Amino acid sequence: MFTIEKTSGIVIRLSGRLDASQADSARAVLDTITDSTVVDFKDLEYISSAGLGVLFATQKRLREAGKELTLTSMNAHIRDVFRYARFDVIFRIE
Amino acid sequence: MKKNFKRDIRSLDEVFDYLEGFISSNRLNESTAFVLKFAVEELFTNMVKHNASGPSEISIGLTVEPEKLLVRLVDRENFPFDVTKPDSADVDLGEEQRRPGGLGLYLTKRMVDKIDFEHVGDQSIITFTLDTRK
Repeated sequence: MFTIEKTSGIVIRLSGRLDASQADSARAVLDTITDSTVVDFKDLEYISSAGLGVLFATQKRLREAGKELTLTSMNAHIRDVFRYARFDVIFRIE
Repeated sequence: MKKNFKRDIRSLDEVFDYLEGFISSNRLNESTAFVLKFAVEELFTNMVKHNASGPSEISIGLTVEPEKLLVRLVDRENFPFDVTKPDSADVDLGEEQRRPGGLGLYLTKRMVDKIDFEHVGDQSIITFTLDTRK
């Protein structure tokens, strides 16, 4: 089960399991972002490379427009994945 | 235990249900459980993508041994994809230079304790192990 919800103009909340079968639904929402946005990972239990790829593509697109994603409240396992992928230098993680 | 799964990304829900049952019945710790799910997803989706017209289902076997977990994925394919070969992903490149592709296998190899590939007859067999004491 995975959900992605725009809770306000600048916050997106992820929950559940962002695996390869859910990457398209994440992309559909992230593609609508045009301004700097906080992505709340508090309720996200799991992410795979498919989810990383969607976030990376969004970050690249926003950076070209002078905006960016900020990622918050990751669990330790997801934070490890970001660190191993060296995504901790691509995203601001709080 | 062993189970076969349809060659389809949409099989992932069923794959995760199978893994969750195994994790629960063997009381695996959170860290081992996360890496198990991550590695199986990445290897399974790699088999689905790189052998899209493969004739068979993909088999996932899970075995608990003292202080370690043994996981085996088996697929029938004529053009084997050796996942232990060097990675196409370069995580040291900057944001502008980084390209999609290869990151899942890179991370899998980074996270599991040992991974082997063999092609026997028409079967590709990937075996990885996790130290369950971590």
